[in-house]
This record gives sequence, structure tokens and C-alpha cells, in this order.
Amino acid sequence: MKIDFSFLSKYHEALLMGLGTTLQLTVICFGLALVLGFVLALLRGSRIKPVAWAAMLYVEFFRGTPVLVQLFWIFYCLPIFLGTELSNFTSAVVCLSLYGGATMSESFRSGLKSIGREQYDAAHALGLTPWVRTVHVLLPQAVLRAVPVLLSNGVGLFKESALISAVGMAELMFIGSTISNRTARPVEVFTAIALIYFIVAFPLTRLVAVLERRILRRLAI
Amino acid sequence: MYDAMTQPLASLRNIHKAYGSLTVLSGINLDMSPGERVVVIGPSGGGKSTLLRIMMGLEEITEGSIEFEGQPYITARNGKTRIDADVRKKVGMVFQHYTLFPHLSILNNLMLAAVKTRGMPRAEARDKAMQLLARLGLEAKAGAYPSHLSGGQKQRVAIARALMLDPRLMLFDEVTSALDPELVAEVEQVMLELAEQRLPMMIVTHDMWFARNIASRVIFCAGGVVVEDGPPEQVLGDPVNPRTREFIQRVFHIHG
Repeated sequence: MKIDFSFLSKYHEALLMGLGTTLQLTVICFGLALVLGFVLALLRGSRIKPVAWAAMLYVEFFRGTPVLVQLFWIFYCLPIFLGTELSNFTSAVVCLSLYGGATMSESFRSGLKSIGREQYDAAHALGLTPWVRTVHVLLPQAVLRAVPVLLSNGVGLFKESALISAVGMAELMFIGSTISNRTARPVEVFTAIALIYFIVAFPLTRLVAVLERRILRRLAI
Repeated sequence: MYDAMTQPLASLRNIHKAYGSLTVLSGINLDMSPGERVVVIGPSGGGKSTLLRIMMGLEEITEGSIEFEGQPYITARNGKTRIDADVRKKVGMVFQHYTLFPHLSILNNLMLAAVKTRGMPRAEARDKAMQLLARLGLEAKAGAYPSHLSGGQKQRVAIARALMLDPRLMLFDEVTSALDPELVAEVEQVMLELAEQRLPMMIVTHDMWFARNIASRVIFCAGGVVVEDGPPEQVLGDPVNPRTREFIQRVFHIHG
């Protein structure tokens, strides 16, 4: 078998378009998942037990089931209950955001937990109101501590988004499969697809490592 | 109206504190007058830090009450502790462990409470913070973050942060215990200067030399009660109670 990547240049526009869709999806879902994740983390710490319990159940459900199953359920089953069709893009956004929110709530939660009791003491001794304490003392520290893990979660979403090809969304993986089917050259095509994912993800994971060190140095009082 | 000439600054009545079945304080009575600097000494677990935390409103009490400047401050009734938030604003505290906010610059550490909860205009808070930092020789650090400061500098900032809110009583809970020995003096020096300005203080410390220097009154606390209470020369130099005597001898023996 002869390995030759040169035929791929013919498809570079399609591949770029697929990558564009993948990135677009990742960024939208990352943003939505961040908001959802923080709210879930706060709810899980709620003093109202049923609220904390419901948030916990939500998180465990989405972490404990395969993303592909979640995606199929949202794409095929949810429309039956809603009585309306969902486009594959909408399904993808809903699925990855709900799933991402569940994983990110865990990152926020460990960020909140890592804030020592003496920070609460200081906030009380200074007479800070609950709102000022949450917004100006706890939230920024929780977010700062969570930034590296949250970025890792983001890279995770970027990779998970390949699953979206299963509902016919023309993102990078779907384009790759299509080219492979048409040319019968899976080795070159899927090698190239893997490399593209890696080239995007690698700098991000390195950035995570650098940020982690910097933030830890800043927060080590 | 509060009359500093006739009324105590703080008046503690029958303070009890228990964590479940563990009793920490069993009936503390104490009147502190406005000019006083009370140093609380005693064995670990004797309830010294708990007493300060209660006075800051950080711990609930099982029984008793505290008045501050003649106003009801903390009361325990039917197992519930009521703390008057307005009275609490008159009390400031510095802790053993650094409690600066690590994500804020030194200047913002000082300004946060003043601006966000006391409604002080930013410019005014900034001027006041810079003046305080200058007084403590820390103005060059205004833009730095806590992680860039030495332990002694951090505790001085913590003192400045409490002073920003003009407390009528300052509580110091073992503020030099976590410091390297060579950094202790700079923090104690700041406290001695505040003492000269007659800021009322209540101090928990293990440093008997410092206690002798700063105190106008020393209280020996053990087993959850006040065992001895008097001027520093008496309590530290010639204690009446045998338990105090034994403690003092042990401490001075260890510390040379």
C-alpha cells in the first residue's frame, strides 16, 4: 500500500470548513457550559437540600452516561416531547452544553472548596455582606483556581465534538468520513484528521500547564 | 449615648461556649474599659482564641451576653446567638494565619470593605489606604499582591486593612505565631505604636516579653474560665493563683 497525502490538498477547503464548524460549536458550548457549570456548582452547595440534591443528580447523570447516548436522545427523542424538530446544530449545542456544564460544575466546585476557612473569617471580620463576599472574594478565587481545569474541559469539549458527526453535522470528523468514503483512502484521511485535532489541542494543553503554574504562584499567599 | 468615662467599652457576662459535648468556655465575665490593652494568656485549648472569635462575632455562644459601648452586641437566647451587625462594625480583628485576599492587590485588600460595604467613595478610600500604608512603611507595596510580601509585611497589611474601618476595639489572635522569628519584631512594633495612640486592644499571644511590654492588663485563662486578672507586673511577675504561677514558670523556663 502506498501512502500519499497529496490528494488531500484538493479537499483543503472542505476540511477548513469542517474545522471552522467544530471550533464554532466548541466555543459556543464552552461559553454556555461555563455559565451552567458555575450555577450548578452554587446550587450543589445550597442549604436547601432538594436543590442541592437535584443539582447533584443532574451532574452525576450527565457524567455517568455516554455522550453519544445523550446526543441521540436529544436528537431523536427530545423532539417527540417538544413536538418540534431540532436541527442537528441545535441538538449538538444543547447536548455538549448540558454535558459540559456537568463536568465544569465539578471544576468550579473544587475551586470553591479550595478556598480556606480563614478567607471566610476575614470576610466576616471585615463585615462584608454575603453578596460582596461571594462576588468579590469567593467567585474570583474559585474561577482563578478553576481556570486550568476549565480550559482542559474546553479541550475535552473540542474533542468530544467529533461525536456530533453521528447526527450528520458537517464538522471536521464528518467531513473526514465523507472524504474517506469517497476516496477509499482512510489511512491518509483519518491520520490527517487526527493531526488537525492535535495541532489545535496541543497548544491549548500547554497553555493550561503554564497558566496552572502562574495562578498557583499568585494564589499561594 | 455611650460615656467612656463611666461605662465599660466591652462587657462580657457569663459567656459559655461548647462544641457539642466539648466545653471551651464556662462562664467568662469581663469588663474592659476604653483605655485598656488586655493580653490574654494561658495554655493551648484554654479558650483564648475562642474568646476573641466570639468577640468578633465569628462563633456562636451557648449562653451569656456581650455589650459594647453600652449597646447590646451579642446575646444567646434559646440556643440562638444574636449578633448586632452595626455594633460589630466597631470591632476589628487580625488573625494568626494570613487572611489577605490573594487575588487582590494590597491597595484593593484595604479598600474592598470600605468601598463595597461602608459606601466610602473610591478616591477617599484610596487616600486613606495610602496614608495607612505609608504609616506602616508599606506604600511601595500598594500595587503588589500578597504572594509577593514577607510574612511580617502581610500581617502589617492585615492590621492596616482592619484599621481602614476605624475600629473602636482591635482583636489580635496570635498574630506573630506563624511568623519566622526575625519578622516578629516589625509586627509587634506596629502594635506598640497603636498602643501608644491608645487604641483599645485585646491580644492573644504566647510571647511573654511582648505581653509585658504592651499590656495594661493581663488575663490568665485556663479551663474555660478567667483564673487570674490583673496588671502585667502582678500576673506575669508575681501571680497569686498557683495555676497561673505554674504556667508562668513553665513558659519563662522554656523561653529562657
